[in-house]
This record gives sequence, C-alpha cells and structure tokens, in this order.
Amino acid sequence: MNHIVKRAGHAEKYDNRKLYASVYSACLSVREPAGSAELIAERVVKDVDHWISHKHEVTSNDIRRQASKHLHAYHEDAAYIYHHHRVIH
Amino acid sequence: MYKVNNKRPRRFDYDLIVIGSGSGGGVAAHLSAKQGKRVAIIEDTAMGGECPNFGCIPTKALLKTAETYRTAKGANKFGVRATNVSVNYKNIKAWKDAAVHRTGTYQGKEVFNDAGVDVIRGHGHFLNKWTVSTGKKRYQAKKFVVATGTYSFCPNIEGLKETGYITYREAIDLDSAPKSLFVIGGGPIGCEFAFLFGSFGTKVHIAEISDNLIPQEDKEMGQTVEHIFAEADINVLSKTKVIKVSGRAGRKEVTYEQAGVQKRAIVEEVLLAAGKRPLTDLGLENAGVAFDAHGIKVKSTMATTNPNIYACGDVTGKYNFTHVASYQSRIAANNMWHRKKMRADYHAIPRVVFVDPEAAAVGATERELADRKIQYQKASVPISILGRSNTSGNDVGFVKVLASHTGVLLGASVVCPHAGEVIGELTLAIQNGLKASDVEKTVHAFPTWNEAVRTACTRIISI
Repeated sequence: MNHIVKRAGHAEKYDNRKLYASVYSACLSVREPAGSAELIAERVVKDVDHWISHKHEVTSNDIRRQASKHLHAYHEDAAYIYHHHRVIH
Repeated sequence: MYKVNNKRPRRFDYDLIVIGSGSGGGVAAHLSAKQGKRVAIIEDTAMGGECPNFGCIPTKALLKTAETYRTAKGANKFGVRATNVSVNYKNIKAWKDAAVHRTGTYQGKEVFNDAGVDVIRGHGHFLNKWTVSTGKKRYQAKKFVVATGTYSFCPNIEGLKETGYITYREAIDLDSAPKSLFVIGGGPIGCEFAFLFGSFGTKVHIAEISDNLIPQEDKEMGQTVEHIFAEADINVLSKTKVIKVSGRAGRKEVTYEQAGVQKRAIVEEVLLAAGKRPLTDLGLENAGVAFDAHGIKVKSTMATTNPNIYACGDVTGKYNFTHVASYQSRIAANNMWHRKKMRADYHAIPRVVFVDPEAAAVGATERELADRKIQYQKASVPISILGRSNTSGNDVGFVKVLASHTGVLLGASVVCPHAGEVIGELTLAIQNGLKASDVEKTVHAFPTWNEAVRTACTRIISI
C-alpha cells in the first residue's frame, strides 16, 4: 500500500483520483479541450502509478514533481500551471 | 508511525544512515561504526553493490578465463603443446560465481552486522532532511551518505526496447557464449565484453559513435585497442550510430549508419553498454539535496547541498570506479565526524580497461590539457623495444607520458600486459607532483614492462 506524507506531516493512502482531478483541471485551465484533457490526465496518472508502484511512502511534493515532469511531456503550459498553482478551481 | 515534521528531531534512531551498500557506502558505514557511531545501511538489491556482484569481480573473473583460453591456444608458439583446447562455459560461469562468492557478498549482511552496522532491507526514500522511509518503517539520523550507484542508460534507438537487449548484468550470467553479438558502446564496459566473448569465438561487432574506442582517453589508447581487436577478429565500427534494432527469425537485426551509409548486422544478442545514469530517485528534493542528470552535486568534502547529507560513488557522476567510490567514502567518513576536513582530489585517478593486453591511464588526457590551455610535452615509447617484449612475444602497446614544460608529470597512458599494475608507478608520481627526471633517476628492474615508463620519462625535458 502506497502512502503519501502530506505537507502537514500526516500520511494518507495514495489516491490517483485526486491526481487525475488536479491534472485534468490544469489542462482545462489552459483551454485544452475536455476530451484531450481526460486523455492527458489518464496518461499522467498511469505514469505516476508506475513510478509509485515500487515505493511504499513518498511525499505529496514527490507526487507533484513526478506528475509535473510527466505532464510536461504531454502539455508544457498545463505542466507550468500544475507546478506553480497548488489549488486550481 | 510518528508524524513527519520539518523540525530537527530531538532524538535520532541512528548517527548515520547509509543508502547503498557498495564501496561508496560500505566504507563510510564501517569507518563510522568503528568510531562508535550508531550506523545503519539501507539496501534494496544485492549486498555489496555493483562491483562484487555485477561489475569488476565477475567480469575480471570471466576475463581471466578468456586470457587462460587464449594463452593455451597460443602455447604452441612457445614450444608448449596444447592440443584439443576447448571451453566449458558452465565451468567458466562456476569459476566466476566462486570469485563472487569469495568476496563475501553472500554473507554480506553478517559482514555489516559483525562490524556493528544494522542492515535494513528496502528502498530508502527521503521524507525530509532527517527522515528516510523504507515503507514499513521510518528512520531518523543525524547524517546520511547516499551511495546508490547507477543504472544502465538506454539510448533512444528504434526497436531496441521492444526487441530486447542485455546489459553487463545479464552478460555475466549467460549459460553460454552467444554465437554472435553486437555491442552498442565502445567504452571500457563495451570493450571488455567484446573482448571476453570474442575470445570464446563469438562473432562480435562493437559500435562506437566517436572516432575511436575508449573515447574518453587519448586516441592512441583507443587506436591500439582497435588494433588488438582487429587481430582478435572483432569487428570495430567507429564513427557509427546504431539507428534501429529489430527481430528477425529469432535473431536480432541491427541497422547502423557509418559514413552516411546504412548497413546491417544479424546477431544472436545485443549488448547495451552506452553509459550509465545516476540513481537519484529517492526523494532527494525533500532533503534539500541538489542533483542533475549527471549526478548528485557534491563539494570536495563530499557534502551535498545539505551539509548533513554526503554522497559518494557513481551517484556523484565523478568517476565510475570502485576505487574512487571507496576514496570518496573515506573522505565522507572523516568529514562527518571530524573538524579537520579532508578534500577529494581527482588529479591522479587511475583508469584501467581489462582487455589483453590491458589499457590504463592516469591523470590528465591531452584533450583536458588543451581545454585548460596548459602547455605540455609528451613522449611515447613502444613496448616492442623492451627486453620483456622480446621474451614474452608481445610487441603491441606503448607507454605515453604527458608533462608540464618544467617536466612535472601530468598524465599517462599505457597499453601493455599488466598495464593496470604498471600505471601504479605513474599514479604515485603524478599524485606527488614528481618530475619525469625523478622517474628517470629511479632504477627499474630488467626486463620488466615498467622499463618503458622510465624510457618515456627520459624523453621529457625537466627544468
């Protein structure tokens, strides 16, 4: 079971739906069409799932960095937004 | 589990936690434990790291068998009759396994435990500057040494991953020598495996993108090794770019480009030796440790950008050698616990390629001196002039020395039997700032390969 150590110091289970939602939002915020945003978010989640699969415990910053790195390969602008804005509505 | 916060803990589980049990980490762990520190080592793969398990020891054990086979086959030249000389590769592998066993890696955990070092199995990941997690448990320490080593770099070659390839890790464990082999990369690892399998009758192609093999050293070394390879019927493809690998009837077809012309080779196996990359995926950002694609950034004290975390060995991207890793580890072990700091000095690092005859170098290369705009003189001597060459029947090789305009030795290249040992004299001279005239004045035994070192030094003008 993968655990994420949050910034406040507590740990919680890794939930890739949260990651999907934040990447999807970042894509939408740079006017990426919804269908394409879904596709990109799915790919990024897959990449991060693969990265985390052999780790037991990482920080939320690790997740952010990994997601940002993979997102950069698919959409540079979305990656910039994702990396620099912690909360995207 | 306790909550992770970024304040310095009041109590630590250990004084030192080392991540990686190879020579870069093991030496610091042992030395620190000797000083009474509470030490743990985290290892998620083979105890002892790369060198005894997959690198130096198994390859040199295999190369020794190749040398013995070649010596036996060439014995008639010396009037020694050796008929029906053949190879039993299973026994060769057994010899290699025995050599690995003798290093003590199979008893690795006990070796560390006996030295007072706790061994923690798992993948270490930094959660903050003082905490590392192995998943099941978190550990806090005052100091850390990161010595995680490297992994084989896979270049972006069409079809390579899909078709499949082996690296040095798999090559040492083959049950038989492949009938044909295409080696991608003409550095030390590529050359050693090309020569190893070439000795056992494998049809070997070795491709290097640079002008010659072993491109990081002076060109004479690579050119001489190419000559040795040509005599061993190894197909050297310099200035060659591999562009595609594909499967073909159970074999592998390698498409490469040389001088603008595309050619193909069909082989049984492809061995990838195109370099290594540092293993830095362990949450270093959480600990404030800076790194890039070349490795963890370290000062000459081996401290990283976090003064409580040190890095040693291949992960620093300095020189990928066991002797450099243990040297760095000794420096880190001193600097962690003592006020008087030691500093790493890389101006006389010996480098050896274990083909036959061996190729070795130390200190600066001509390219480095030119880049640094240092005026230098050079002298080269072929080993064919030596009495030892005459009695051994081996006339391929040379000794080349580079010196400042005042004669201070700066660098050297050697290709001759036992060059790995011959380079020791020059390493001592360069390390201690000796002049060529100091070596010239030293009496060398006759007939030895080292006489070429003295002869080369006589051709340098010392002021």
